[in-house]
Amino acid sequence: MLNNQKKSMLELEVKNLNKKFGGLHVLKNLTFGIKGPELVGLIGPNGAGKTTLTNILDGAIKPSSGTVYLNGQRIDQLPPFEVAKVGLGRTFQVTRSFRRMTVLENLYVPALAKHVAVDKSEVMRRALEVLDFLTMDHLRNEYAQALSGGQQKLLELGRLLMLDPDIIILDEPFAGVHPKLMEIIYEYIRKVNAEGKAIVLISHQMDSIFSLCKRLLVLNYGDLIADGEPEDVKHDPVVVDAYLGKDDDEDSKSTNDIKQNST
Amino acid sequence: MNRQQTLWLISILIIVFFIAFPFLYGRKDYDYIMHVCITGFFYAILASSWSMLAGYAGQFSFGHMAFMGLGAYGTALFSHYFYLSPVPTNLCTEFEIGDQYFIIKNAVGVTSSTLDQDCLTKALAVWDGSIQITPMPIWIGIILGALLGGIFGLLIGMLVLRLRAAYLALFTLGFSEILRATISAEIKITRGQAGIELPYLFENGISIFGHEFSKTDKIPPYYVMLFLLLACMAVLAWLAKSRFGLFVRALREDEDAAAALGVNTVRFKIMVFVITSTMAALAGAVQAHYIGIITPNNLMILQMSLVVAMAVIGGLENFAAAAIGAIIIQFLLELLRESFVIGGVEVDMTLWRLVFFGAVLMITLRFYRNGLITPIIEFFTRAHVASETVEKRGFQKTEDVE
Ligand SMILES: Nc1ncnc2c1ncn2[C@@H]1O[C@H](COP(=O)(O)OP(=O)(O)OP(=O)(O)O)[C@@H](O)[C@H]1O
Ligand SMILES: [Mg+2]
Repeated sequence: MLNNQKKSMLELEVKNLNKKFGGLHVLKNLTFGIKGPELVGLIGPNGAGKTTLTNILDGAIKPSSGTVYLNGQRIDQLPPFEVAKVGLGRTFQVTRSFRRMTVLENLYVPALAKHVAVDKSEVMRRALEVLDFLTMDHLRNEYAQALSGGQQKLLELGRLLMLDPDIIILDEPFAGVHPKLMEIIYEYIRKVNAEGKAIVLISHQMDSIFSLCKRLLVLNYGDLIADGEPEDVKHDPVVVDAYLGKDDDEDSKSTNDIKQNST
Repeated sequence: MNRQQTLWLISILIIVFFIAFPFLYGRKDYDYIMHVCITGFFYAILASSWSMLAGYAGQFSFGHMAFMGLGAYGTALFSHYFYLSPVPTNLCTEFEIGDQYFIIKNAVGVTSSTLDQDCLTKALAVWDGSIQITPMPIWIGIILGALLGGIFGLLIGMLVLRLRAAYLALFTLGFSEILRATISAEIKITRGQAGIELPYLFENGISIFGHEFSKTDKIPPYYVMLFLLLACMAVLAWLAKSRFGLFVRALREDEDAAAALGVNTVRFKIMVFVITSTMAALAGAVQAHYIGIITPNNLMILQMSLVVAMAVIGGLENFAAAAIGAIIIQFLLELLRESFVIGGVEVDMTLWRLVFFGAVLMITLRFYRNGLITPIIEFFTRAHVASETVEKRGFQKTEDVE
């Protein structure tokens, strides 16, 4: 099918990417790529530049220099709505649902925006499917502002499913989320990834990152200081020094969590 | 019959009522009441199109009356300066078109002195009634006026793209005032505060089903304005239901999120400006031909606040509610003109009605943020939703207990 062809060429290429805000050099010569349906964790201390990188990939802000290609198409100069259509979707660190629109309407927006000619009943069917998966079926006619914070996060994830991009960047999907909801998000990430989408997961929760991701990117004040398998990255002295090892307690705690999760 | 169907029935009854009204009403203040209706329809077009702009798309423009004015002045200037004549005047700027001459009258401003007459008046004096000149058809002027509004809507839409909330309001307010000041100042062309006269909608009268109507009869303009209102409502209804409505509401809620989900926010923002400005300009052009004169005072901020208040009281986020609100308020404002005596003190309602109006506005803003009409409409369209959700939520809760 056409879909499969698209997925086989899924490729994000970031080359020599720089971003300066005035004198502040926020992203320093980043080069990395994502090939195929990878599940990549992006970590780094507060202010490392993770959200800025997301904003550049998504087209919301333009890089100072460097290029970004998605599936062979240059996207770093495109506006966000075109990047979305090329195949990159993202969530926001601070949840941004369309508050005074119903849950269903929230879901319709990306579906109708992506394709000019769509069968509305097909969109409706997809939306109900998505809500079912997110266990939010009973809320479909509620205004988004009536949802809890966690449910709004789920709604944002649901909108991405309706956009159906090739690569998804999740900026802190676990922040302020109850364990039960976390389960749903875990399942979401695994399922969406298994369906052939690449996922970039930004999180400060090391246990989640280590249990989900097969590859880690570590940003430290604009420098990409590590890129590799989680186990290697975890023991990389540079990373330990810059990020993981700052607090001994933190480190041992997250290691424990990994052990728990792997059993 | 479910509630949705009831709503349809009520809407149709309201429309039928207004269509039949001129034949049902027979009191001796007929012309006055008809005039209130026509003005009510005019404001309904402005309030409902503004609700699309401000309520649906979240673009709180205070320039809507300026677009109305562009339409009115567009057609006024067109009919004032352009004529067709079978022979050249040899005084005016003129072009030969077929067997006619297209005459452009020169601008002389407000003058009654014989010293400073426009070229056409001079030519007519020479011809002394032997030559008939033809004014331009007013429908061309109305269309040009609407286009003028649309073009300025495009420009303003592009200029305010990056402006949000208060800045957009201030910018459009500034635009509106600049336009008004320019029209007031350009006395030579626009006749300034004196206003510019326009031919009536049916300057030579009109015959409908064998009945002759004069140019000041109210029935023909009543139906013209009612038809215009219904046409605008149909367009707005279609827009609100289509992806356009969905996308402009999404960009109202969160522009960045809408863009990240594939919505071309720039395009839809500009489109909503162009469409609503064109509607305002169209209404302005037709209303100007109905009244027969347009002055810069029609563009005043006070007029804009009236439209805003009508939309807010009706319901900002529902164009139909805004339109109904406008008509009801127009009627209330007129009916409340009647002064009365209470305990020997005469209450001058021409002044107090505005206080009353202000109070209603404040109460609406404080207690009924959705307006007074929207909740009634939503009773028919959304009521089932809440109960359904409560039911399912209860179901979900029991399921959640493990
Ligand atoms: N629009 C902006 N103008 C100026 N500086 C900015 C702008 N956006 C981000 N920055 C700066 O860039 C740096 C990186 O910010 P960014 O939000 O990308 O960090 P982050 O890695 O997402 O942090 P966190 O983990 O706290 O979310 C910070 O120093 C921030 O102050
Ligand atoms: Mg961030």
